[in-house]
Parts: sequence; structure tokens; C-alpha cells
Amino acid sequence: MSKSAPTISVLTANRLSDGAVVFLDFDGVWVEGLRGAVVARSPDEVRALESRGAFDAARNIVVEPYLVEMLEAADGGLTPVRFRERVRLGGPSILGDVPGYVEAVPAKPQARPEPVAGQPVHAEAA
Amino acid sequence: MYRYDEFDAEFVRQRVAQFRDQVERRVKGELTEDEFRPLRLMNGLYLQLHAYMLRIAVPYGTLSSRQMRKLAHIARVYDRGYGHFTTRQNLQFNWPALGDIPDILAELAEVEMHAIQTSGNCIRNVTADHFAGATAEEVADPRPYAEIIRQWSSLHPEFSFLPRKFKVAVTAAERDRAAIQVHDIGLHLKRLADGGLGFAVWVGGGQGRTPLLAKKIRDNLPEADLLSYLEATLRIYNLHGRRDNKYKARIKILVHEIGADAFAAQVEEEWQRIRDGALKLPEDEIKRIDAYFAPPAFVAPPAGASAKPPTGAPDAAFERWIVRNTHAHKQRGYAIVTISLKPIGGVPGDASAAQMDAVADLAQRYSFDEVRVTHEQNLVLPHVCLGDLRAVYDGLVAIGLAEANAGLVTDIIACPGLDYCALANARSIPIAQRISERLATRQDQIGDLKIKISGCINACGHHHVGHIGILGVEKRGEEHYQLLLGGSGAEDAALAAITGPGFGPTGIVDAVEKVVDTYLKLRKDPQEAFLSAYGRLGSAPFKEALYAAAA
Repeated sequence: MSKSAPTISVLTANRLSDGAVVFLDFDGVWVEGLRGAVVARSPDEVRALESRGAFDAARNIVVEPYLVEMLEAADGGLTPVRFRERVRLGGPSILGDVPGYVEAVPAKPQARPEPVAGQPVHAEAA
Repeated sequence: MYRYDEFDAEFVRQRVAQFRDQVERRVKGELTEDEFRPLRLMNGLYLQLHAYMLRIAVPYGTLSSRQMRKLAHIARVYDRGYGHFTTRQNLQFNWPALGDIPDILAELAEVEMHAIQTSGNCIRNVTADHFAGATAEEVADPRPYAEIIRQWSSLHPEFSFLPRKFKVAVTAAERDRAAIQVHDIGLHLKRLADGGLGFAVWVGGGQGRTPLLAKKIRDNLPEADLLSYLEATLRIYNLHGRRDNKYKARIKILVHEIGADAFAAQVEEEWQRIRDGALKLPEDEIKRIDAYFAPPAFVAPPAGASAKPPTGAPDAAFERWIVRNTHAHKQRGYAIVTISLKPIGGVPGDASAAQMDAVADLAQRYSFDEVRVTHEQNLVLPHVCLGDLRAVYDGLVAIGLAEANAGLVTDIIACPGLDYCALANARSIPIAQRISERLATRQDQIGDLKIKISGCINACGHHHVGHIGILGVEKRGEEHYQLLLGGSGAEDAALAAITGPGFGPTGIVDAVEKVVDTYLKLRKDPQEAFLSAYGRLGSAPFKEALYAAAA
């Protein structure tokens, strides 16, 4: 992954329990949405995020982690570079037109994890 | 309809228990994703862009009202209130939680349904003409053969790890509604010279990144030899199909590379070896399966009764619906009804739980308890008495599914595209919605015209065989669409050709409209359908309309 790593990226995956799109935040918690997402800006930080993704996949918290390239606005707001990732972040664009569509009950937030020896809690600390 | 015997029921029950255990082990961390992935795929469970997706098999597209109600129940209780009918006559739920899947499968087993072999490199759900058993055009109901193939191919030990997925379609009519020429194997049931039934066998068709039309490798295959011939064909594919490159692994590549004659010769040699073995279909067994598909107890109309449905008070909307969405039935006094899942501006193939329940009620009351799913992402009530058409229509109006557009330009096939699919490069559904809205007021004037949209090169939306096909690609990170013209998935099968440079998400809708306008301007008369006009005119005037201004 790191071979062609983008300069600004965040770590995403699908949650094991329901497949929901999640991002790693500063507390090392996988959350829905980009709020608080850890941003990797250097090759070292990219490697740290990749390592964290592989670790949490091995712990069966998430599935198929990967880095998403982001554009950063002056105010720090993040937008995925690829349209695919914008749809993945925002959800299906057509739900208002789906007959009978019912919003999901929001998932309970994941418990803040205890630090695990030898593993980064978040990329910034790595 | 086919009913599970003890073996079927026990097999599905065991499979549910097995998968329940596998899911528990996955959640506990005893199975890694790499270990679990092939297990979940064998049970129809994908991980898509936003969630898991469960693909449920609807064998040869036939559902009872009880089964349809169960799908509605699952949509309501375990999913987000709706389901999506697919181009393989299946149903997909887009939001199930992993932990709920075993319960969903157990609920499905209660109504003789499952999700086995809806994914993976195995023989997938066998599809059939959605008018089977109802149309006068067929020589016999093809579904008993589809059921025989289903039983043979379910957990077939030799064919559970093929080089790639394998799709079989069956029709028994000259007018091909099952798209047999774009399947790995397409079977055309015909009346033989001796009065018996036999098959023309087409092999090596398919879409995806290398679209190819199937070649006929056998005619007049006696029905007793169906399974041995299929077994021989699959064996040659399993032996020689490429496993080093997934993009060259389908049987179409093998048939293309060695040639249809050489492939047929190899099949023939293997078939001669096994044709009189255990797979020879006994006549009694064919009759036993056939009996499940016996025609319902039609009531003959009184002598002298009108062959047309009573319309009551003049009602233009109802009349339009009769013209577009009802089709000739083999039984006098009955009609086949297409329930369009393509309301103007709607999502092709989607149905809410309430709509599924209502369709189940209509089927139970007016169609001998039967519903069909079409590969064009519509539903069908196969056996409706002419006198009941008004009641059926009113019932469909009440649930927003009475659009009189079967076969028209707004009856669009669209894959889930980037709105759901992890493989997609561009969205399909919004393009279908915009085209539907743009052309709705002119759809009767335009006439028969099939638009098919895929969100990636895998071609689940059948864009290669659209009269107008649209392929979504990614260009510099954004959605981009190629336009194709002149394809057909019917008996006049043809692969569509790309017109030229692609278009953005708005431009593609304008481009389709330009193509339609060009057709309307150049057609000889309203009876000359789009595909005929395209065949006569060629692509030049359409390209001129699309690109001349920009040149």
C-alpha cells in the first residue's frame, strides 16, 4: 500500500459486525464519518496507519482496511479525492428515491480501547 | 411449483446450521476474513461498499406468494424496508448485519429458499424465460429442466471450484426472453423431428470485459441426455479453462481461443464416454419433476366470450397498461401481466416490503399464487384471468407499480452501480432515473427501446446487449460514461458498439436523448423500432448527432 501512498490520507475499513464504512479517529476508535479522523502526512505516518489497520483487521474489529487519499481545505475539512470514496463516505446517493427505505438505527459507539502493548493507539503517537 | 423433498429440506437446514457456526466463529475471531470470505460467498453474502449484501436465489425466477411475503418480512425486520431484484432473477438485500444472516437464512429455509451458489466460482442460479408455463410461444415449460439442472448442480463436488462463475439459462421459445446467447451455457428446448423434446446447446457467451456471443455446439440433444452433456461440457471447461488470470477464466475465452468446433469435439468425446451412465435422465424422473410445474386449473371462458379484457368505463391509463404490460397467454381467457419495477424516476428493480406484500396478495388472489422475477428487473403475474385485469391494475396503482412501460425506453436495466457495489466505478441508478424522467413523456412515441446501464466493466447491467448501452468508468477519479448502440440480448443477439468518446454524468443523459431524437427523425415510420432503424442506418447518423458539434 505504502508504495504509492498519497501525501494526505486517512485509514478506512468496513466494520466486521455490519459492514459499515468506518474511519480511524485520534483515539484509535473506528467511527462512522470523518470527524476526528487521523490524517497521515508523511511516509512514517502512512506506515503507522497501515500497521494499525492490519492490526485491527487481525483483531476482527474491521475488514479490508485501506488508505483513502484526501484533499484538505484551508479550514482543515477533508474531501476524498476519488468520486468512489466520496460515495462510500456519503452513502448511496439515491436513498430518497428508494421505495420504503427506512433509516438504520445508529450503531452503538465502539468502546474506547485500552492501549495494547507494542501497538500504536493512533498514528500520531507512532 | 417445485416443492422441496425431504432431501432438499434437510440439506438446506444443515447448511443454515453450518453457516451459523461459521458466523459465530468469525465474530469470535476464530476465523480470519481470508478464511471466512469463501464461506460467506458460498452462502451469497458479499461485503459491499457500505454494508454486507445478501443475494438470495430465486430459481428460474419463480416465487410463490408465501415466498414473496417472506422476502417482504426479511426486508422489514432485518434490512431497511426494501429489496432489489437483479438481472439474474435474484433478490438482493443491501443492509443486513452479519450476525443476522443465519436467522435470515433460517427464515428463508422455512419457505424453501436459500442463498447457496449465488456467488463463487460455481454453477449459479439457473435462469429461465419469465413467461415459462404461460406463453403460447414455447414448446414446453422449460422450468422442469431448470429444476433438474439446479438439483444436479447444487453442491456438485466436481464443479464447486470452477475456474470462474458459470451461468446457465433455459428457454423453450423462439422469442428469447432468457438471453441464452450471452450465457456460459444457453439451452433452447425444441420439438424434435420425432415428436420428442430436445435441446440446442449454446456455449461460451457472456458479457463482462470480453463480451462474446455463444456458439451453438449441439442441436437436437435428447432431453434424457441433458445432464450427461452438461457434465461433459463442464468437465472440458474445468479441465482447460484458465486459472492463471481471472479475466480470461470464463468458458467464453476457452471456446473463443480453441474454437467452437474443437471445443464441441472435445465435449462430444467426453459425452460419448458418459452418456449412458448414471446421468441418463429416466423418463419417470422427468415426469416427476414436470408434475410440479403442471399448469394451474385454468377456467375456460364461456363460449363466445370476448378475447379482450373488459375495460369498463373508458380509461386511457388502463388501456395503455393493457397494451404495454399484458401479453398473450397460452390459455384463452388469460393474460400474462408485467409488473413494472420502473416507475418514472424510480430505482430500477427496487421494491419496498409493502409492495412485495401487495404483489404477493395479488398473485395469491389473481395468478394462482405465482410471481416471476424477470432478468429485466420486473415482476410478472403469469396467469391472470382477463376479467381480473382491472382489479390487478387497480391493486398496482395503489402501490405505485402500474407504470405502463414494459419494453419502453423508461424500462431500464441498471446494476446497483457505485451507489452500492464495491466493484463499480460509476453510479448506474441515478443515470437511469434521469433518463427515465427526461424521456417519460415521449416513451409511447419512441416505442420499443431497451436501455441497459452498468457501473463497471463487469456488465451486470447488460450494457453490451442494450439497444442503447451505457458503461460507467472512472476517469481521473470522476464518473464517466461510454455510450454503446445496437446490442440485443434476444434471439437476434448482437453486441453493442461504442459510439466514441464518453460523457460526464449530465452529458450522458443528453447524449441518450440525442440518439433518441436522431432515431425519431430518421425512422421510416413509427413501426420501425429503434434496433431495426439502427440496423438500416448504421452508426454514422447517430455519431454525427453526438459529436459533430464538438468536432
